[in-house]
Amino acid sequence: MTREENSKVTRRSARFSSSVTPDNPEPNPSHQPTVADLTFGEESITLDALLSSFPGRRSQILDLIRLIGPLDSPALPVMVYGDASTGKTSVALQVFRHLNRPFVYSSCRTCCSPRILFESILNQLLLHSKCSSNGYASAKRCDKPSDFVNLLKEALSSVVETLNSTKPERKPMGKMVYLIVDHVDLIKEWDKGTMILQFLFSLYSVLKMPQLGIILISGLPPDVYYSNVGYTDPLPVYFPEYSEEELRQIFLKNQANKKLYSAFLDVVLRPFCRVTRRVEELSTSLTSLFRKYCEPLDDLTISPNEDLKRRLYSNLKPHITSCLNEIFRISSRPLDGDSRGERRQKASYSSEKGEELEMLDFHMSTSAKYLLIAAFLASRNPATLDASMFDSTGGMDNRKRKRKASEKSMEKKEMAEQEAVMKGPGSFPLERLLAIFQCIASVGDSSFGEEEDEEGEDEATGYDKESKNMMSDILLQVGSCPLEGSIRYRSMVSEDLSLKVARSLSFPLSKYLYRR
Amino acid sequence: MGKENSAEKALNLIRGRLCDPTSVFRPLSGSSDSNFSKLKFIVSTSITEGCNNSILLLGPRGSGKAAVLDLVVGDLMEEYPDSVTLIRLNGLLHSEDNCAFKEIARQLCMEHHLLFSKMASFDENSQFIIAMLRECGLAHKTIIFVLDEFDMFAQASDLLLYSLLDAMQSVTSQAVVVGISSRLDADQLLEKRVRSRFSHRKILFLPPSREEIDSLLEHLLSLPADSSFPSGYVSQFNEKIKNITSDTRFKDMLKTFLNANSTVNSLLKFIFRAVSSMNLESGLLSLENFKTALSSMQRQPKLEAVRDCSILELYVLVCMRRLEVKEQSSYNFISVMKEYKTIHDSFQTSDYYAQNVCLRAFEHLREREVICYAENRGQSQAVEYRPMKLLISASELHQGMRSHACCPAILLKLLDH
Repeated sequence: MTREENSKVTRRSARFSSSVTPDNPEPNPSHQPTVADLTFGEESITLDALLSSFPGRRSQILDLIRLIGPLDSPALPVMVYGDASTGKTSVALQVFRHLNRPFVYSSCRTCCSPRILFESILNQLLLHSKCSSNGYASAKRCDKPSDFVNLLKEALSSVVETLNSTKPERKPMGKMVYLIVDHVDLIKEWDKGTMILQFLFSLYSVLKMPQLGIILISGLPPDVYYSNVGYTDPLPVYFPEYSEEELRQIFLKNQANKKLYSAFLDVVLRPFCRVTRRVEELSTSLTSLFRKYCEPLDDLTISPNEDLKRRLYSNLKPHITSCLNEIFRISSRPLDGDSRGERRQKASYSSEKGEELEMLDFHMSTSAKYLLIAAFLASRNPATLDASMFDSTGGMDNRKRKRKASEKSMEKKEMAEQEAVMKGPGSFPLERLLAIFQCIASVGDSSFGEEEDEEGEDEATGYDKESKNMMSDILLQVGSCPLEGSIRYRSMVSEDLSLKVARSLSFPLSKYLYRR
Repeated sequence: MGKENSAEKALNLIRGRLCDPTSVFRPLSGSSDSNFSKLKFIVSTSITEGCNNSILLLGPRGSGKAAVLDLVVGDLMEEYPDSVTLIRLNGLLHSEDNCAFKEIARQLCMEHHLLFSKMASFDENSQFIIAMLRECGLAHKTIIFVLDEFDMFAQASDLLLYSLLDAMQSVTSQAVVVGISSRLDADQLLEKRVRSRFSHRKILFLPPSREEIDSLLEHLLSLPADSSFPSGYVSQFNEKIKNITSDTRFKDMLKTFLNANSTVNSLLKFIFRAVSSMNLESGLLSLENFKTALSSMQRQPKLEAVRDCSILELYVLVCMRRLEVKEQSSYNFISVMKEYKTIHDSFQTSDYYAQNVCLRAFEHLREREVICYAENRGQSQAVEYRPMKLLISASELHQGMRSHACCPAILLKLLDH
């Protein structure tokens, strides 16, 4: 347990420096954990080292240290809150490394149910490690808050007793134990999450043990937890987003050639900060961009002069805008290669995350492309127009005589457009999709001969296995219609993607789209 | 070095006082018509005269109900050492009947040094409790049941309350049921049969008056003149405290703070924060400590969230606000993007990004709970089409953008039109 906890702790504290990934060995059975293992375990660091390793967090670190207080000083519960990747967890853990006090850490991200959370805390307090000899079982079984309170009281009193009698060899450890619970905002999504949250907030007053200090780390501000029952607000410590200056210091921290990187940051940081200020998102895009920046240089250790800086910037400039538009993409292409034609990926559009994978060069079979277009048309066009759109002459030019639009009809058109935007794509049954597919594929059959050779055998009208797999990516199953009892689907493909696919097939998509 | 040591000791002493509710409420309970004396009178008469009683302590959260009860119980345990048993239940933990009966049985066993079996069933537990009540009554021992978060017991199910109050109706038992709740209508939540067995005694805990607060501050912050501190330091410290508390600026600060939240608990948190920022080198408190504590207690989370936004996220918020102003009752991401495009076309801003970048900014805002889905039912729609709504008001957005570090002027102009 202890070595696992230590390695878990080291990994988390090294966020944007070069990350160390130690392997997790089975805890040595001959190493009996003692109370001293509840501290951070490594060499304690001085306050100056702590402050310098977190640029821009000086006031928050000092605030946290003051609220925790000197040795053996009772403390009220503290809540550290701030946006993602603002350094809350790492700062909290490093503060405890500096103070060298025993603490117990559990995160609600890994402990995803109350039982796991309670048992993890108890295991750490009872110095119990899960290994093969005890069948990887926890020390005590506990899934209700009432049991947890009783067991926690016993465990804490035994730990405090041991702390009272041990003589520490290095810095004194004090007689208090601190409980750190991370990612408290995730509890809201648990089953009975609100009860658990209220319990957690009132834990300090229920336990009435002055030797326990509680620190909660949350991604959401305290006002989302307000409730009528059981809520006593803890003392808040706020971690704001980094300013540009602080971001610059963070990114410069572990660079080999600081002058070169700072010249790079001068031109790049400001436009990127307009989009996002989160460290994790910036670092992924900045690393790839830095590689491009350094491409023309032979020697990466030189410090650039003004002239060189200007040349490097003009070399980089065209890439900056395109990189900005890809800023949230985690590119799956290898970082140094630029081979675009090689990849074979299916285009998929995940609805919840809203991220598109690299879609410019994907490889789809022709039938799959037609299916995609058919699904798009089925969602966009109302069903009643199908007959006229897809008659045997294979699509037509239904341009009526254009009348001058009156103001009222313009207004109605706008309202209808707004409604259409709000409603989103419509739903359709599977038969309609296949019918449209048959129609448009027969249109494309005539121009089929010029398609790529490997597709020659693949009939455009076939509904093969690959297309079936792709369908689950582009279609969303909507409920069953109560009248017909069949399942309806909705297409999730955007207009841009469909246009691109249609262009690759030279399919006249705009003729088939119904425009109000 | 010695100075710092005594400063640390003083700090620990004061913090210890602030974290322990009983030491805070003892000076407040001195007078004869305080809640403390009323409660003590009721409970001690039921002990001495051997009768049953039930009482409710009501008041806003943090006004010291549990603390005063602890003081009363502590005193009574000293005065009548063998005739009082205390059973504590909490509505957050024990609102289910199984849990509640198990917990009562467990605590009874601990008190009377009996072995408690975790496997005992619900029936066995309830029979045990009733038997214990009878036995204690015959032996003239009073059991005090403390039910914290009483409204949760009242709402969950009435089996526990009914069996307790019913058992109290019999002649042989001697029990006092004390309910603590922050809902002032807690007794209205009871069912009819329980309410009829409940004596409607209530003690209301009101916020303390100005004089009580002043005396409380003095009591909490003064160092005792005993030998563990150097005497010069003690008098210096207490002198500084007197100066601060009589300063008009401090009085104003206190008044603004108490206007927002007048319970004793919040005052304690404020003082805790101020004391923790004490300068350990000089070892004395100053007005600055209280000022910083006040500003950190009065957080405005939504304003901070807007200040933390990147410029693209501000654009999204401004577009949503403009759509609201145009009286579009519901809007989704696609309509926000349309508005974004019109703004870019008419003003030629330099911040025009692709749709997926804007979608990610949208998601950031949603994670931070600045915007949210307008309805929960629309699960079958893709993210871009679900209707959204703003969770911050126009004035908060305005204020946030004005105090933003690098908000472009055009955004402020767009917000106003």
